[in-house]
Amino acid sequence: MSTRYRVGVDIGGTFTDIVLLGADGTIHTKKISSSVGDYARAIVDGLSELFAETGLAGEAIEEIRHGTTVASNAILEHKGARVGLVTTKGFRDVLEIRTLRMPRLYDLAWEKPAPLVERYLRQVVDERVDARGRIERALDPRDAERAVDALLAEKVEAIAICLLNSFANPRHELMLKEVVERKAPGLKLSVSYEVLPEIKEYERTSTTVINAYVMPIVASYLRALRQGLDRAGIPARLLLMQSNGGLTSDRAAAERPMNIIESGPAGGVIGAQALARAKAVPKIITFDMGGTTAKASMVEDGEVTRASEYSVGAGIMIGSRLLTGAGYTLKVPAIDLAEVGAGGGSLVWIDGGGALQIGPESAGAVPGPVCYDKGGDTPTVTDANVVLGYINPAHLVGGALALNADKARRAFEDKVAKPLGLALDKAAYGAHQIAASNMIRAIKSISTERGRDPREFALFAFGGNGPLFACGMARSLGMRHVVVPPSAGLFSSFGLLYADVEHHYSRTFRRLLRQADLAEIERAWMALADQASAQLATEDFAADRMRLRRSAALHYQGQSYELTVPVPDGVIDARMIAHLEEAFGQEHEKTYGHRAGKDEPVELVSIQIVGQGLRQGSAIPERLKPSRAAPQPPPPRRAYFGEAGWLETPIVRRSDLASEQRGPFIIEEYDATCVVPPDAAASLDAAGNVVIALS
Amino acid sequence: MLPPGNMPAMAHDPIAFELFKNAIFSIADEMALTVFRTTYSGVLKDNMDYSTGFADGDGKLVAQGLTLPGHLGSVPTAMDAVMRHYRDDMRPGDVFIMNDPFDGGMHLPDIFVFKPLYHEGKRLAFACTVCHHTDVGGRVAGSNASDSTEIYAEGLRIAPLKLYEAGTLNKTLMTIIEKNVRLPVKVFGDLRAQLAACHIAEQQFADLVAKYGAGETTALMRETVDYAERLTRAALAKLPDGEWSFEDWIDDDGIDYGTPIRLYVTLRKKGDHMVVDWTGTNPQVKGAINNTLSFTKAASYTGIRSVLPPGIPNNEGVFRAIEVICPAGTVGNGVLPAACAARGLTGFRMTDCMFGALAMMLPDRVKAAGDGGNTGISIGGYDACRKPFIYVDFTCGAWGARPWADGLDGNSHMFANMASHSIEVTEAEEPIQLLAYEFVPDKAGAGKYRGGVPFKRDYRFLEDEAVLQVRADRRDHRPFGLYGGNPGGPSENYLNPQAENRILPGKFTMTIRRGDVFRHVLAGAGGWGDPLDRDPAAVLKDVRNELLSPQKAADDYGVIVDTARWAVDAAATARRREEIRRARNWEVVPKVQWQDPPKPEQKSVAAE
Repeated sequence: MSTRYRVGVDIGGTFTDIVLLGADGTIHTKKISSSVGDYARAIVDGLSELFAETGLAGEAIEEIRHGTTVASNAILEHKGARVGLVTTKGFRDVLEIRTLRMPRLYDLAWEKPAPLVERYLRQVVDERVDARGRIERALDPRDAERAVDALLAEKVEAIAICLLNSFANPRHELMLKEVVERKAPGLKLSVSYEVLPEIKEYERTSTTVINAYVMPIVASYLRALRQGLDRAGIPARLLLMQSNGGLTSDRAAAERPMNIIESGPAGGVIGAQALARAKAVPKIITFDMGGTTAKASMVEDGEVTRASEYSVGAGIMIGSRLLTGAGYTLKVPAIDLAEVGAGGGSLVWIDGGGALQIGPESAGAVPGPVCYDKGGDTPTVTDANVVLGYINPAHLVGGALALNADKARRAFEDKVAKPLGLALDKAAYGAHQIAASNMIRAIKSISTERGRDPREFALFAFGGNGPLFACGMARSLGMRHVVVPPSAGLFSSFGLLYADVEHHYSRTFRRLLRQADLAEIERAWMALADQASAQLATEDFAADRMRLRRSAALHYQGQSYELTVPVPDGVIDARMIAHLEEAFGQEHEKTYGHRAGKDEPVELVSIQIVGQGLRQGSAIPERLKPSRAAPQPPPPRRAYFGEAGWLETPIVRRSDLASEQRGPFIIEEYDATCVVPPDAAASLDAAGNVVIALS
Repeated sequence: MLPPGNMPAMAHDPIAFELFKNAIFSIADEMALTVFRTTYSGVLKDNMDYSTGFADGDGKLVAQGLTLPGHLGSVPTAMDAVMRHYRDDMRPGDVFIMNDPFDGGMHLPDIFVFKPLYHEGKRLAFACTVCHHTDVGGRVAGSNASDSTEIYAEGLRIAPLKLYEAGTLNKTLMTIIEKNVRLPVKVFGDLRAQLAACHIAEQQFADLVAKYGAGETTALMRETVDYAERLTRAALAKLPDGEWSFEDWIDDDGIDYGTPIRLYVTLRKKGDHMVVDWTGTNPQVKGAINNTLSFTKAASYTGIRSVLPPGIPNNEGVFRAIEVICPAGTVGNGVLPAACAARGLTGFRMTDCMFGALAMMLPDRVKAAGDGGNTGISIGGYDACRKPFIYVDFTCGAWGARPWADGLDGNSHMFANMASHSIEVTEAEEPIQLLAYEFVPDKAGAGKYRGGVPFKRDYRFLEDEAVLQVRADRRDHRPFGLYGGNPGGPSENYLNPQAENRILPGKFTMTIRRGDVFRHVLAGAGGWGDPLDRDPAAVLKDVRNELLSPQKAADDYGVIVDTARWAVDAAATARRREEIRRARNWEVVPKVQWQDPPKPEQKSVAAE
């Protein structure tokens, strides 16, 4: 049998990146323009082009792994379904009132994001369940029918159901579900108890509604993609990247599209995690910088860090961790990313106080940086990098786009250097440094928030611009190592190849540990485990290829925030409870710097399970063989390195780093540029990563 | 971007300066993140009722982290007090603590912790934190009571003292605190968070000094303050010169029922300087709603900042360009023995009063009055096992209409930016059940842009007995509308709305029993502009969403909605609008409205 290939596809706003990886380590890559409006087309076309170039055929493809922004775009552009919501009488406006908090101070022009379901499409039913799940007022079936009828009369395309305290007793939600299924078979339906059986009515309502809102659009996208692949003779199964970093089948994604909303940036982080595990690097910070934004996240002891909730479309702001209220709240585990509006296209400008500023406004794809010569006249970060000699002055790497370096220099001279009374090189270097310092704040925020010191981490840089900034940033942060993976500019799609199928489940289950009915806890966990196993079975994992891991969210009674600790396998007995109390105490000490006395009651708040489908064999061959031959590098050019001034800087290929080389030099590749400054040295490791040591 | 040759003076290399500024604000933000991470109590996490900052060696504020607007200007006042007492009695390892409103503090729950930072024996900076603590003792749990009449009932008063002296903990002081607060575990947990933030600041500041050197660090901190002053003055210079006054009223202080309390502000703007003068404001009152001057300053700065461009750093430089005056002994600058625990109300209302004055100065840039800031509701008592419970809810949500858009529905007042508690978590933890939390129609002030829609909250009490205390306002003096906009509807309080429906006053303390239901309805926010100029489609949308009744659409807006087809009857609307126009007979558009304009006869509508 000929070599089998796995495919990673990542769709961005401008480009669709495709990576084919053969079992023998062969890599084929393709970067093509995204087909906005019909994203599936670019994937099918791109694969067909790759087949034509390589002589491969559809049967050679074993599996397609896909990261997509189709769901998040539907939310950002308000192009989701017409959704009806059924909720408890008295609480019609939970969705719209939100948490009252706004993300910006002193801003009279602040507008709340419009609710995804308008008030007239929010129906209430007269029912009441109390906090412990007891039914205080039974739902009259006629009232349930009336509410559903009213929404159907409004021709809704999907229905969301979220009643107060339903996490403790779903009976009324299930009654409503039955009514919808009977009256409108096949209508898209999102029921809060099934989607997120957790306490906090706003977060649960918002999540249930978002799920309903993107259901039709995701389902039709996946259907179109499947049909396109079938037509192109590619029968391989399709897996979707989820926000949590795990893969899911296309069918499960269509049922729970809320899980794939932050699908896009996850691939790169998961790839970084896999390489960190392979290299046994316990602590890395990932740094992914493209054209408009930069994103940072943390991998510790081989695990990505996840947030239990986040905001879709919150925009980009450093303070987003402290000032919430933007975007749409989604309580779904997601890789925890800090994002700043700094990319190659970010504008360079001078504020009213005479200080040099970078972004967050971007020149975007049109008109783009001045050097693109497409009409842009405001200098950008990319223009600074051209002036400094970091970026090839003739054309973007790969040769696809000619650059006009003189124009970039003139713009910088006129709009930045002269007004500030600085030499051109100093001004451009200043812009480069300030862009770096904005991104440094994002990196510090993800590490400090968890009480971690960035100096103990290695910086793992990817995206088209990540490797260009990485060394300077690492030095400012006191970090000693930078790692640049192969195909750094396509790493978001490459990283997809490292992911496992994974599903996260959680349920609010409030019990004081020492007074709890242990058998009841055991049963609750078993129920979650059954759910996870059933899902994995539908994705063709045999029982011996499933791995289930339990965890528990706990707090001291009266505390309003929880800490999560892993729960080892085994029956829930008194010893297990003692173990959990101790593990929680230790985590409390680690996070807060202190713990309460032994007698302080510990409360279980929610139970969680992660179900993983284990693949046969290793994810990635040890040796990778890129099919794209690196072209002969251009001659050395002068590049500016701050205090060291202008230095003659060789341009090298990755393969030239078999033995360690001292900086300064620049690695130019098809998809990214990496700058290695003086007093740094770089070499290749066995996996093909460029490893840079800063002295 | 400024044209070449018009660049303001910058004493330093602008790039070195920007990098330094980024670093110093990063320290202030990291202090805030540290408090957020290590705090024990939900008050700090949910309400963000804390601030962090960084001052130079003389105690002048250089950088304030992401912060509660209500804390703007609080750090300088507190720093001044520390410097007054200890300027010549300070050494490495000292940590200061204080909360006394009459010696640099704001109200007793806000405890300040300051740490001077040294380099080679020279004091270069201060790390500053202030956190609202869960309880600081006094006669009512939570230390927030609005009906105390002197500071001595409100809790433990801490003058500026050394919590650590040269690195040694002051155990006497810690013991006094421990024995005088109801929840020492939480209070000490949050004090530890404050100390941790100061510790982070100390480490990072040492890195900064190592990089820049002591002299350059000091110079760059000064430059950071000058930069903020330049930005502020440049922005103020673009505003018109002149003098504008505004008056508003708080219904009463809850002690002397029915006696309104006057707030009066005059803005004097000349060139690049602004004076905010509160002379004419009511003498201080018995109820616990007296501000400190620092809180009045915070309200003043918040108002002005909302009309300045974003991105100006919060520091001493801003305060140099804006002078705030408020005579001692007034409700905006209380003196001993003024009670001040619930002064939040006055802070919110002074902010709204600032908006009123700024709207006179800049008619097209400022909003009408919102619901008046948060209503405070507390339900406290003991359960059958004598275990205390205390439920405190601060809620607000209706923004005044803006000259370009409707007021926001369900959004915190700008002065506080607090988050609401989850209903389900409340029900799981407290002997309280919520029966309703939803918008109330027909209370938003009409206007070309309408005011924010208020909501109601119904609380059912599930224990045997408790004390219910409510601090609400905006019942007699409704949220004003601007430039033709109507005022919002008044706030309302009821006991057992489904049964006796007893009307309760705006501020009260009463005993409630099992099964009692208390309903609070926020005031609606004021409208902006002539309601007859409102786009009929926007009126239709509100009617369709049941935020506005068809009758009120006809009365206030002259818009006739066909509810069978969900369409506007254009001809009937034109006629109705003409009738209203004739009946009200405006010669000039009223700038400020406190009462609804008189309604024309209803006959013609009924006839159609």
